[in-house]
Order: sequence, then structure tokens, then C-alpha cells
Amino acid sequence: MRQELAQLGNGAHALAIQILGNREDAADAVHDAYATVLSRPGAYDSARGAFKPWFLRVVRNRCIDLLRRRRPSGVDIDSLSHPGVAPDQRVEELQRDVAVHAALAALAPDQRQILVLRDYLDLAYAEIAAVLDIAPGTVMSRLHRARLALKQQMEQNHA
Amino acid sequence: MHDASRIHSNEHVGERLSGYLDGELTQQDCQRVDLHLADCAECRGLLNELQVLRERLGQSTIGGRNEQEWRESMDDLGVTLSRGIGWVLLLAAAVIIVGTLVVLFLTDPGVPGGWKFLIGLFYTGLLILFVSVLRQRWIEHKTDKYKDVEI
Repeated sequence: MRQELAQLGNGAHALAIQILGNREDAADAVHDAYATVLSRPGAYDSARGAFKPWFLRVVRNRCIDLLRRRRPSGVDIDSLSHPGVAPDQRVEELQRDVAVHAALAALAPDQRQILVLRDYLDLAYAEIAAVLDIAPGTVMSRLHRARLALKQQMEQNHA
Repeated sequence: MHDASRIHSNEHVGERLSGYLDGELTQQDCQRVDLHLADCAECRGLLNELQVLRERLGQSTIGGRNEQEWRESMDDLGVTLSRGIGWVLLLAAAVIIVGTLVVLFLTDPGVPGGWKFLIGLFYTGLLILFVSVLRQRWIEHKTDKYKDVEI
């Protein structure tokens, strides 16, 4: 389980950043989720779905909990736009990342989450519904609206 | 379910374009979208744009920490545990100290009984308020839908 949790860390962090708008708080949320899951390893029931969406849901709920307590002043675009950059990362890739993150940061939190869950973490619609606690039938329409919003935002930023 | 000819001639496929892109449509819906795309340059263009966006987002770096760092984060959980132990010890000491002070106050022959009664009343009121708030918080904590999530 520890191996699987370590592998999911980065994706969970990406999701938490979209909710909390802050990299440090997001890391705290993932850390807390690790503590929750490792202290109660029996809480996960494999018969009720895959581990990845289950853990992401634990992280998301922890984020919402933190959000209610801390109430951040807003999304820190810098924290979304400057992930730990490898020294050899190409300038082109950096520019691409910054453009995507800036557009993403301008969207509503719900839209950011669904985009990250589908396009960054590659979750199926049923898994997205489980993580976000929404009806499976609404995933496609929400995702489509979020994609159109992202597209529009990127066009605006580019202009 | 939409009529195939209606989708084909009059309507754009809308959100089904995302379902099509993600391979989440039924075979029948997929064929309908295929038919529409064959005739609709606008939807073909949008599909291409969404595909590019999806790839850009998928290839970007959002998290920024590697697996090893998350493994170390898990190893740090001892800090959380020790913090919990610290709180328990602190609360236990506070209860003992306050209890001792109350006993000393009540058994002090230098303080008149009336004052003992009034001061006791004041602190009992404070204690009831504190316990009431604590109880409310405990109930909220236990019924929190975001706690101990199980799917």
C-alpha cells in the first residue's frame, strides 16, 4: 500500500492544488490523507472500487475540510504555475506549462478539479463521479463545459 | 437518446464530443458522432482543439514532487503521532493542575463560604459553556461528511 500511495502522491498533490490554490497547503492535505489511510488500512474495500479514486476522494475531502478552516484569500497563480522544475526541462515545455496553469487558475475550482482528474490523472468518468461525489451522468457535460472554458481562457490569455 | 438523422443534419454533438474524445460513449452514440463529424467541419475543428488541450494538460507538470519525496512524507507521519501524544500529555497535566487548584481553593479556611459559592458559580458557568461548545464541535466532527470517507 505504501508503494501505491507514494505513486499517487503527485497526482493527489495536483488535485489538492486545484482545490486549495496553494502548493504547501496541498502538500499538507496529502500528508494528512496518508496519515488517515495508513492509520486505518482496513478502511479501503477493494470490492467497492479501485484504490486510486478512493484515495483521491480522501484527499479531496481533506482539502475541503482544510478549506473550511483556513479560507484562503484566493488562488495563488504563482503556486500553480511554477511546479518543481527539473533543470534540464526545455524552455518550450516550461512555456507550455505556464500557459496551461495560468488558464487553469482562472477557472472555477470545480472545473479545475474535473479537468485534472480526467486529463492529468486519466480517470474514467465513473471514477471521476466517485471522487467528486456527483452523478455519473453529469460528468460528461461538466467536463465538456470545463474544457470549453479552458480553451476560451487559453485563447484570451494568448490574445 | 437522440435521433441519428437529427444529430447528423441539424445539431452539433455538444458534450458528446468530450465523451467521444475520451472513449466514454456507447458504440451507437460513437457511430452517431462519427456520422456528424463526417459532415461538420466546425465540430471536427473543435474536436482537434480539445484533443490538443487534453494532451497539453496531460503532459504538463502540476504536482512537482517525485515519488521519493512522497515516500519521505509518509515516513514523517511519526511527527503527527508525537504531536498527538504531546496534546494528550498537555491536557492531562492541565486537568491535574486545575483540579488541584480547585481543591486548594475550596478547602482554604481563609476564604469566606459566600465568596467560595459565588466564585464557584462563576467558574461552573464557564465550565458549562466550555463543555457545551466542546460537545457541539464533537458532534460536528462525528457527523462531518468529509471525514473517514469510504466509497
